[in-house]
Amino acid sequence: MNEQNETFETRMKEAFDESVDKLDGATLSKLNQGRHAALAQLHRPRRQWSRWMPATGAVAAILVAVVMLQTPSAIDDVAAVSTATDMEILLGEDSIEMLEELEFYSWIDIAESEGDVG
Amino acid sequence: MEVNTAVFAVSCAGAPSLGARALQKERQLNQFLAEVERRALRIAEIAVRDRDEALDLVQDAMIKLVRNYSDRSNEEWTPLFYRILQNGVRDWHRRQAVRNRVMVWFGRKPSDDNDYDAIAAAPDPTGRAPDEELQNSEAMQSLEKAVYELPARQREAFMLRTFEGLDVAGTAVAMGCSAGSVKTHYSRAVHALRERLEEHRPEGFAPVEGES
Repeated sequence: MNEQNETFETRMKEAFDESVDKLDGATLSKLNQGRHAALAQLHRPRRQWSRWMPATGAVAAILVAVVMLQTPSAIDDVAAVSTATDMEILLGEDSIEMLEELEFYSWIDIAESEGDVG
Repeated sequence: MEVNTAVFAVSCAGAPSLGARALQKERQLNQFLAEVERRALRIAEIAVRDRDEALDLVQDAMIKLVRNYSDRSNEEWTPLFYRILQNGVRDWHRRQAVRNRVMVWFGRKPSDDNDYDAIAAAPDPTGRAPDEELQNSEAMQSLEKAVYELPARQREAFMLRTFEGLDVAGTAVAMGCSAGSVKTHYSRAVHALRERLEEHRPEGFAPVEGES
């Protein structure tokens, strides 16, 4: 069986080699051009920054991971505080009155900041 | 101090300069690529059944080898080159599959691999009798079709082992798998090809006397 396989493979190899030998001139010319284009890569200066790409990528990935781990809790804290403050304001006894006098409080705020009051 | 300077001068004179080494490396790469390019083209062409696409794949593999592996030892170039080429062929098939799905989605007929005519793509006869040429072309066409229809990994193993002549270890590097897998894929490929080619019985692959 092994001998049979070897004979069979030898015949296929011969057929393949023959097809390689018969490649036409135009194709060989294209291969030649492709080879020289590839060899021209040897004369191209290597981009220095590409050397730092893996390290930069790793640092960036770590930063993103840290930010992603930290950000949700920070946002949650801020959201919790602001929600509590909003609720206090809305539930406070003075809230309705303050809303009615909104223009007045706004004027006080501006006046205070300009030093006209007090 | 004078002795050290003399030793340094002698060692510099003996070692090739950077420029000479680069030139030598370029010459070796050129020789390697010139040796491998035609077989690589035919291997890629059988895998994708399109000569222009195969030319592009071979050129890409050459560029990547020169750009990324020119400093490796010469013995490593063959399996590395074929590894790059096989990856390119696999990517090409993936892109082709996506393109065909999109074309089907838009109601267009996907490109048919069977449209490829190996006889039409074959070069002009080289001084043979027409019937002999036709017989060989038909045999090669049957072989190409049978190899193309193999599962991808079997096709890779078969072409690298039989057509390129890589050993099991080199084929394993080129395919990115173990030597055991190479042996399995290769054995299955040969078995499948024997069945298919003898089924069609083209003259070029008819069993020889004494073969079952």
